[in-house]
Amino acid sequence: MPIRVAILTAALAAALGFSSNLPAQTAPDSAEAKPRQPGLMSGGIPDLSGTWDADFKGPEGTRVNTWDSSDPFAKHPEQAPMTPWAAEKFKGVRPPFGALQTFDNTNDPVQRYCDPPGVPRIYMYPWELKFIQTPKAVYILYEYTKVWREIDLDREHPKDPDNSWMGDSIGKYDGDTFVIDTIGFNDKTWLDQTGHPHSDALHVIERFRRLDHDRLELSVTIDDPKAYTKIFSNTKVFRLTNAPMGETLCAYSEMKEFQEKVVDKTQTPPGK
Amino acid sequence: MKRKLLVVLAAVGSMAMFSGPLPAHHGVAGYDMTKTITLHGTVSKFDWSNPHVVVYVDAKNEGGEMQHWTIEFAAPVHMVRAGWSKNSMKAGDDIVIETHPSRNGAPVGITSTITFILKTVVNGQALPVRSE
Repeated sequence: MPIRVAILTAALAAALGFSSNLPAQTAPDSAEAKPRQPGLMSGGIPDLSGTWDADFKGPEGTRVNTWDSSDPFAKHPEQAPMTPWAAEKFKGVRPPFGALQTFDNTNDPVQRYCDPPGVPRIYMYPWELKFIQTPKAVYILYEYTKVWREIDLDREHPKDPDNSWMGDSIGKYDGDTFVIDTIGFNDKTWLDQTGHPHSDALHVIERFRRLDHDRLELSVTIDDPKAYTKIFSNTKVFRLTNAPMGETLCAYSEMKEFQEKVVDKTQTPPGK
Repeated sequence: MKRKLLVVLAAVGSMAMFSGPLPAHHGVAGYDMTKTITLHGTVSKFDWSNPHVVVYVDAKNEGGEMQHWTIEFAAPVHMVRAGWSKNSMKAGDDIVIETHPSRNGAPVGITSTITFILKTVVNGQALPVRSE
């Protein structure tokens, strides 16, 4: 698609041109490296450059399965403050994670169809992300499925945005925090790994803040009055890494083959 | 190639401390994570691809019957970060491997997610492990 290619090319060209001015951010070579104060770029904005990996250890890390801090590990996913509409939708989910996890005929749209995980579910996967900060926009590159987002710094949301997988994102710097405001979602994605639904009225606020040199905290706030009776939020932590981003595309043929050769065999008793 | 030892039921229960579901492409509902068995056999295929690395192992059970095991690992990217590679093993290699078997008794197991890699020895050489 020529337009998309042109946009991507321009975005990456802008990003590369700008990023050459940034100080190199790399993970420490040894565990003894001392944490430093979060870095600020010229202009006093937080420096998010570098590659960030999901924190594999600790309760704030990759085990977090919901955006509700009262049930971070999804031990009681049915108790989320869902509206009747959302509760009815939730009854139909067969998630591969959480207290209700099942291998039997899951209808997780990512696992089943390689649907884009969307925002904010993409942060539930244990892969890397990278920020490219330019004067007018911040780009986030996600290792999982190799998708990227443009967060514009110089505009408001459209009055009537199209519905999309990743939504319409605008951002601003608030002291040491990068704040992303996103609306304009479709209702095809899950919020998290346990199948909590959302509507097209979903409003997501992401706040990225460096806790120290090596750790980046993400706070996600969910506001969806059609689906939830309360606003809720949770945090995850990412760590600076030197590991280059790899290929983690969700190829439907590979997912289908894996389903048949591995997952399906664990579902039906042998011989049946 | 004749293999001597087979399916040995080994350490049980030591892996029961999972505080939550393991994040990856899918959960671990199909596996008995409280049970660890050790297989000794021959690699018939090493499939280094997304969404998960899979090794196929031919190993005899206690009754001497050959079983064809399918053993799941984390994604290639995560295995690389743990020190594995596409050349870690190949068809025909001798393998001793720990795995959490499926709940339904099928010869399917999981030896690694992003948070752990169980003991895997190929041609006498131990590959990197990761404890929970």
